[in-house]
Amino acid sequence: MNSKAKRYDSIIIGGGHNGLTAAAYLAKEGRRVLVLEKRHIVGGAAVTEEIYPGFKYTVYSYVVSLLPPRIIQELQLPKHGLHIMPLEGAFTPMEDGNYIASYADEDDTLEEIRRHSKRDADIYPVFSNMMYDLARAVRPILTMIPPNPANPGLEGLRTLRAFGSHLKSLGKEKFYWLTKIMTMSAYDFLSEWFETDVLIATQAQIGIIGTFLGPKSPGTAYVLLHYYLGELDGASSNWGHQRGGTGGVSEAIASAARSFGAEIRCNAPVEQVIIKDGQAVGVALENGDEVYGKTIVSGCDPKVTFCKLVNEKLLPSDLVDAISKYKFRGSSGKVNLALDGLPDFPAMQDKALMRAMQEICPSVAYLERAYDDAKYGSFSKRPFMGCIIPSTVDPTLAPPGKHVMSIFVQYASYDMPTHGDRDQQRESFGNAVIDTLAEFAPNIKDLILHKQVITPWDIEQTVGITEGNISHGELMLDQLFFMRPIPGWAKYRTPIRNYYQCGSGTHPGGGITGTPGRMAVAEILKDGN
Amino acid sequence: MSSLNKQHKIYDVIVIGGGHNGLIAAGYLAKAGRTVLLLEKRKVVGGAAITEEFYSGFKFSSLAGGSGHLAPDVVADLNLSQYGFQILPTDPLILSLLPGGNHLTIWHDVNRTIQEISKFSQADAEAYPNFIQWMRKISRIVAEMNNIIPPDLPEVGLNNLKELYGFVNPVRGLGWKHIAQLVRILPMSISDLLDEWFQSDIVKGAIAASAIIYSSLGPQEINSTAYTFLHNWSISNTDLFRSSGQVKGGMGTLTQALAMAAKSLGADIRTNAKVIRINIQDEKAVGVTLANGDLISAKVVISATDARTTFLNLVDPYYLDPKFIRHVNNIKYQGTMARVHFALDTLSKFSGLNERTEQLLSGHIQIAPTVTYIQKAYDPIKYGSYSKQPYLDIQIPTLSDSSLAPEGNHTMSVTVKYMPYKLSEGHWDELRETIGQLVINTLSEYAPDFDRSIRHYKVITPLDMEQVYNLPEGNPSHGEMTMNQFMWMRPIPGYAQYSAPIDGLYLCSAATHPGGGVTGIGGRNASRQILKNLK
Repeated sequence: MNSKAKRYDSIIIGGGHNGLTAAAYLAKEGRRVLVLEKRHIVGGAAVTEEIYPGFKYTVYSYVVSLLPPRIIQELQLPKHGLHIMPLEGAFTPMEDGNYIASYADEDDTLEEIRRHSKRDADIYPVFSNMMYDLARAVRPILTMIPPNPANPGLEGLRTLRAFGSHLKSLGKEKFYWLTKIMTMSAYDFLSEWFETDVLIATQAQIGIIGTFLGPKSPGTAYVLLHYYLGELDGASSNWGHQRGGTGGVSEAIASAARSFGAEIRCNAPVEQVIIKDGQAVGVALENGDEVYGKTIVSGCDPKVTFCKLVNEKLLPSDLVDAISKYKFRGSSGKVNLALDGLPDFPAMQDKALMRAMQEICPSVAYLERAYDDAKYGSFSKRPFMGCIIPSTVDPTLAPPGKHVMSIFVQYASYDMPTHGDRDQQRESFGNAVIDTLAEFAPNIKDLILHKQVITPWDIEQTVGITEGNISHGELMLDQLFFMRPIPGWAKYRTPIRNYYQCGSGTHPGGGITGTPGRMAVAEILKDGN
Repeated sequence: MSSLNKQHKIYDVIVIGGGHNGLIAAGYLAKAGRTVLLLEKRKVVGGAAITEEFYSGFKFSSLAGGSGHLAPDVVADLNLSQYGFQILPTDPLILSLLPGGNHLTIWHDVNRTIQEISKFSQADAEAYPNFIQWMRKISRIVAEMNNIIPPDLPEVGLNNLKELYGFVNPVRGLGWKHIAQLVRILPMSISDLLDEWFQSDIVKGAIAASAIIYSSLGPQEINSTAYTFLHNWSISNTDLFRSSGQVKGGMGTLTQALAMAAKSLGADIRTNAKVIRINIQDEKAVGVTLANGDLISAKVVISATDARTTFLNLVDPYYLDPKFIRHVNNIKYQGTMARVHFALDTLSKFSGLNERTEQLLSGHIQIAPTVTYIQKAYDPIKYGSYSKQPYLDIQIPTLSDSSLAPEGNHTMSVTVKYMPYKLSEGHWDELRETIGQLVINTLSEYAPDFDRSIRHYKVITPLDMEQVYNLPEGNPSHGEMTMNQFMWMRPIPGYAQYSAPIDGLYLCSAATHPGGGVTGIGGRNASRQILKNLK
């Protein structure tokens, strides 16, 4: 039997980390699995590439968080090269030359906060405890298979009941805080706790990452909680660097998948899913090849999954309509720098913070303005930035004495019509980033050997995610839980038999978590596939 | 009865505050045979729903205007038409003015509106009736939710089930599909919701403006503005997204009618009677102390003021759990509107309006050409400044009720958004002129001769709303209308059943479910809850 005619149990479209996770779990269950990735490397938005000779960029993503220990363990990822080095903490320079920092050691962090406000330092541990409590309260919800409220069925009702008794078990006070955090703005929520503006800013920035919302937009408190979830399991899953760049995470999962017997093919873009008698039976590649499998699993975003890979006409019109309403709204870009040396932040007293994340979010108003500047179709004149210099802990990333700096930038719109063509948009956006960074690290411009600027549009072009949203769609209440990606189709299935979805556009959403991939597999197995 | 006996009279119920909800609670409780005393600190009852003569011969609805969306069963139960309450109908619902003299009119009649919309977008004209039909069903669910006493989530007891059945039963026929859609839509922004239906910025602007009347937030903000849109619809008297009509004689007539109804049912109403303390004995509310030193006893005390005033000013904090006080302190008020009233010599000519001008101007006139315009009006308040290009909601009540001004003259009342209560610089008392001028300038772009028709104007700032009308932070809804202050969270989580942590103390104002608007539902629901407990 030649390989073309080989039949697989499962074909995964897209070798992003969720597709790879699904592949690994299916292979582990003894399924014959094939992953098809359109690019030359696996990883999707989590890749490391040597764009400039000698310097390895984590091209689209920047830090690793949220990967649940359960997945790390079940897939034995450390054996396959997963090695996360926790970040030193965070450093936030302020506009008046002062700064605020946080450290891996909570006592150090409290001391630092006390420098700004004794009251806030006193309340900070109470606040963190509550956030972890709330994260713990939400976590079981994240792994409940979302019911369809329009037609819950017996299983759905059981889930709803479990959901209800889970909420009851939290007790009233925690339930109220949960309601609040699900609905409020990060700023309003944090203001109920803290008085120091820059402290609120450093927390609020977590609530805006990956959304096109500002710290004062309702809905951002939930995103803040979403990120606390990643920190639940002790220091090991703190935000960190993966050795060799974030791509190393994808490669570890890929290696695990291979070790269970999965086959991974790169440079294999899928044209569409082959459907016979209302049932997915295989995929057609762009090169004309056809591959057949019992189940087809899309790791792509909902629009690609439903509107590009299959003919819309085969789908119920209300689903097509709902997908057209799905909100992507890429809001972040990336700037990767090859540097001739370390940048100098005059506000940085403790040089160990070079190994921390340098966050450009000096005040709540700064973040809010960054949002307001961009939200009518532009980019922030002075953007929010999360910078890391992974070469300070991982010398394999740059030649000796040189460094790579990975800058996550928000906000940039997918369309920025007032800034000329796409090349001009990228150019002006990149300049705004460097000019702003230079306000806080004046020598940065002299150090730049190479600069890679990536807009949301670029992410769409290269990685294939619609509108370049790294979370495959906004994390908003109307696109969460049983409504992610859309009500009625939140259970990893599609109206086409044997065609499944497993990307970040499914519950519980974005971040390098692998959870959608893992949960999709549970459903596939439940269907007897 | 001798005066001595009167001093020692123990009322069944004391109501603090003579706003419309207080009056309605008083009316319902008196009707149920309870002895009721209502205490109002100002010289006139009505709260934010009053008529005032700011300029001789010209009468204005100071804060709340229009028809006030009083729930029809409240009108019937309290026999209000007998006491002079009458709504003068207006049509169109909305006249949305556009720069350059163009305009979009939204009529009661859906077909007539379709024709109007087709001038801007054929696709939107086709979408409009479906939109209306769909949202009518969803807002019916919201309307039924308004009528229930919120459950004390996450605990749902047998008691709640009966209450919830009262909600589920009428909407069951609508099908799960609509309930599922409500769950999806409720946390959205009105901007996203309208994007799902319409293409024309003008159509979206006209509808979105109505949605944020009771919101402190901009139309692009989620977890708030689709909710206020549905809220407006659920309380409207048009089965559309906005109420229409004018209370004859201004809003004061409405609250005067409520006062007369309550009195005729046996309630006592005392004005110039400022309550300074709710008296508590053995953890139970037993009456109130007035500013003049009078002590009045009652079995039950209802506060028709907001939650912060009630719990932080009127109750001794000794009786309250710090956790509870923290929730009270966390209530978001953030008033964002001002009112500007004009006494006009004549009706100015609006650009582009030629025929039927008076009729076209008789409903809500909006200056909110696009969603972006409104959102941009909102943006500055995040930094503590007011909009330089404000969203205006204008009414000319004299077009339907000539008794409000001398013959041939007119009154015009404008709601101005967004005006933050908390300014990062300056003081509201110094900005009255500026705001008046801002409104005049904005209006003059649409009615070039407007400033020449002005005889007098009066600006009510968010600070005035707090200081004169007792609305903390100038929020007429006694707290923002957002998802975190919704239903079982309103006004304070755990006490959304019109109740308080002190036995015998209740709340009934807009601070409680279902919130803002002169609906009277809070007053009515609270009285129902009290009667249930008084049994």
